[in-house]
Amino acid sequence: MTTEHNTHFGYKTVAESEKAKKVAEVFHSVANKYDLMNDVMSAGMHRGWKRFAVSISGVSKGDKVLDIAGGSGDLSRLFAQKVGAEGQVILTDINASMLGVGRDRMLDAGLNVPALQCDAEKLPFPDNYFDCVIVAFGLRNMTHKDLALAEMQRVLKVGGRLLVLEFSKVWQPLSKIYDAYSFKLLPLMGKLLAKDAESYQYLAESIRMHPDQETLKQMMLDAGLSKVDYYNLAAGVVALHKGYKT
Amino acid sequence: MLKSLSTKLLQHLAAQNAWSASVLKPYAGKSVSLDFVLFKTDLVILEDGTLVSAGETNVADATVHIPPSLLPRLLAKDETAKMQIRIDGDTELAATLAKVFAEMRWDYEEDLSKIVGDVPAYKIGEFARSSSQTIQQTAINLAEMLSEYWQEEKPTLAKKRHIEQFNHEVDILRADVDRLEKRLNKLNNTQILS
Repeated sequence: MTTEHNTHFGYKTVAESEKAKKVAEVFHSVANKYDLMNDVMSAGMHRGWKRFAVSISGVSKGDKVLDIAGGSGDLSRLFAQKVGAEGQVILTDINASMLGVGRDRMLDAGLNVPALQCDAEKLPFPDNYFDCVIVAFGLRNMTHKDLALAEMQRVLKVGGRLLVLEFSKVWQPLSKIYDAYSFKLLPLMGKLLAKDAESYQYLAESIRMHPDQETLKQMMLDAGLSKVDYYNLAAGVVALHKGYKT
Repeated sequence: MLKSLSTKLLQHLAAQNAWSASVLKPYAGKSVSLDFVLFKTDLVILEDGTLVSAGETNVADATVHIPPSLLPRLLAKDETAKMQIRIDGDTELAATLAKVFAEMRWDYEEDLSKIVGDVPAYKIGEFARSSSQTIQQTAINLAEMLSEYWQEEKPTLAKKRHIEQFNHEVDILRADVDRLEKRLNKLNNTQILS
């Protein structure tokens, strides 16, 4: 049970002030091998999920897109191609190591995408600015998800869309296999590939502590978004929520 | 998985029919449910005017009910079949989407050309078109032959002129009944007055 000063860090309970630091340590540790691990963990499916998110975003040429917790920049790269030269994509992450990886990738791909280190709970952007805000595999690491969602809603234009791509509650008949995979195989792969079993243990635990599809939908509605709907991907291993600012 | 595939397919069609985006853009964010009784599918119009499958909890702005028996007639472009489609909710949205679907064309030769090259793709397309015409013509001939048999040799189907005659007689009967009814009313009123 958490008090107002405590929060979850995987299955552990930590002080709210400590969570961001601990999450930062995890991502600092996995930053360089983050994409390799994602590919191994999801059998490459995370790329398909991200492409699907971009395809239902409704983003077109000239739009302004904010990529929160964008880390290695996969989504920013796809969005940059969609919005074209007249549009704008901003890549943000709270973690400098992850952001560094993303920024370098953007530069290597010849894309002019500004990379900005900032906290999603205190976004340094004006109200009603973006056509689309996306957070992929980042919301579950945020200490105050409600504050972060409210901030994302604030910076959206009226008619703008918030997309949340995140691990979610898997289809019940598959839950046992999924549990075995997450708690046995995932840390083992983390140990072998990234030499960091503990960080991957946290990733598995944080997925279980994250709100399920319906709860997240309600949280988005509470944050002031409307017409919230979600897509279950890979039998609910991942869900993509989409809501509008009206 | 299915939603992601159907979204890809719909967006591919939209890309081939670029005009459809400008028609659908004013309805961005709205969704239509296509109810085929045996299965149902919800589509959402995105801000760029493309169509995608809706999510798990979508609430449709319009519902189009299409009984399965209508599908072959709709595919055969039977105009009278369209009259039997029932629409609930935003009828303008549903009508616009129906118009877009009716005019959308899948340029399969273009897709095929990326795999087998331009010339073979054109030849395959030509063969498909001529085969489809032959099949269509054969189907029409067969239907005409059967209808003639059932009308002339073993009359189980009514001829058009007989139906028209019957309808005409029903109209005359209806008019007669109306006249009789008025006459009875008149007699009734006269009786009350006297």
